[in-house]
Amino acid sequence: MSLQPANLEAMEVEALQTDRYLDALLAAVERRAFDVPADAAVDPTLRRAARRLRDELVRTHPSFRFEERLARRLADAAVRMRLATAAGGEAEAALIPFPTPLLADPILAAELENPEIAALLGLGHAAAESRAEAAVHSEVAMPGRPTTPAPADARSTLRPVGPRPLLVGGALTSAALSLAGAAFVAWRLTRGAPADPMARAVRAARAAREAAAATTSRMTAVAASATSHPTTGIAGSAVNAGPRRRRLA
Amino acid sequence: MLGRVRERGTLGSSGQVVSLDPDRSLVRAAQADPLQFDPLYRKYLAQVYNLAYHELGDHHEAEDVTERTFMLALGGLPRFHDAAPEDAGPEASTFRVWLFRIARNVVANHRRALRRRPTTPLEAAVDVTAPDDVEGAAIARSEASAAWAAVRRLPGDRRRAVVLRFVNDLSTAEIAGILERSEGAVRVLLHRALRTVARELSHDDRPGSRDDHRRDPGAQ
Repeated sequence: MSLQPANLEAMEVEALQTDRYLDALLAAVERRAFDVPADAAVDPTLRRAARRLRDELVRTHPSFRFEERLARRLADAAVRMRLATAAGGEAEAALIPFPTPLLADPILAAELENPEIAALLGLGHAAAESRAEAAVHSEVAMPGRPTTPAPADARSTLRPVGPRPLLVGGALTSAALSLAGAAFVAWRLTRGAPADPMARAVRAARAAREAAAATTSRMTAVAASATSHPTTGIAGSAVNAGPRRRRLA
Repeated sequence: MLGRVRERGTLGSSGQVVSLDPDRSLVRAAQADPLQFDPLYRKYLAQVYNLAYHELGDHHEAEDVTERTFMLALGGLPRFHDAAPEDAGPEASTFRVWLFRIARNVVANHRRALRRRPTTPLEAAVDVTAPDDVEGAAIARSEASAAWAAVRRLPGDRRRAVVLRFVNDLSTAEIAGILERSEGAVRVLLHRALRTVARELSHDDRPGSRDDHRRDPGAQ
């Protein structure tokens, strides 16, 4: 086909007429119209082909099991994204290049190697850092997967090169939580026993048991000395001593 | 066409069509809270799946691509900027274009990976006739196979344009955004694709086929 300007212009005009016909034809699906009026210039064979494509190209829906499974996976990822954002506060939302939990999936991380996809998702140099960090995390954190230690030089290439994003809000929050936790543990350790009624009852019962045991041992010693033979010093028979011991106990 | 304008836009005070893209509020809600991504996912699941299915011809491969596309979209949504101005007109749904561009690239990645392994052709499982109409079912299957086979033989962007136009009901402007071409170029793509398909189907047309029984006001 010649691409002379005149032919090209004619082609564009034909294409515009065909496009208008397609607009009308596809809009007519809702009212179940077989065909729609068209410019007479539109080739009837093109119109027939367009109708066949409209009617016969398969429209499919994935299985509902797949739909729900993916919905759950997306919801899980959304929860992790929300937690990550909440941990760092509002300020660092722009500093997180890509949700790191999603990058733990090696398949998704591989997709981001495509520069067009990375550009579509607004990822640049920061994405490479995030991917590297996610690669390190995934080696450590993926349970049930054997981890192969990377050689030292390879691991060093995984380290972020540029300045790391500063999560000010998250750092302050975690530091505050840590300080509060440490203070509570210190306070709890230095403080005496709790003063609630149950604890007092337990302490009283234990004290009574210890006092009874001390009294028993003292009385046993006294009884043993009273029944011993004056000359031999041998204690009385077990028949006599046994019940007494049992009673005292 | 009027239906599309009515669906997505209204006339503003200046007489221009002002975009009332329903995706805009959904996108903003999802950007504020990732858990609100679900309505967008449900809305476009079938469309993304269809694109992948018609590109790859395999149900399982299409599911893989669909899953990756939505996971990437969820991850990239906080950085998605609706580039369409408020008065951009009824074709201003940039989220759908953005989503389909992700899908197109994921499909391209997947195709590259598939080149290393053999693939099985799509078998169009269309049966719109009654179960006891064996002859009708056979003709329908044959026609669907012929139409699909003709589309499959088209070169890459022509095939994509046809699928996006006829299966996903996208406008020329949206297809232009997805394929990163001008609207005029997409119109020419579609026109040439239709010519090729018409030529191939004309070989397949024969007396007694179902198409001859249909009312064809344009041919009269």
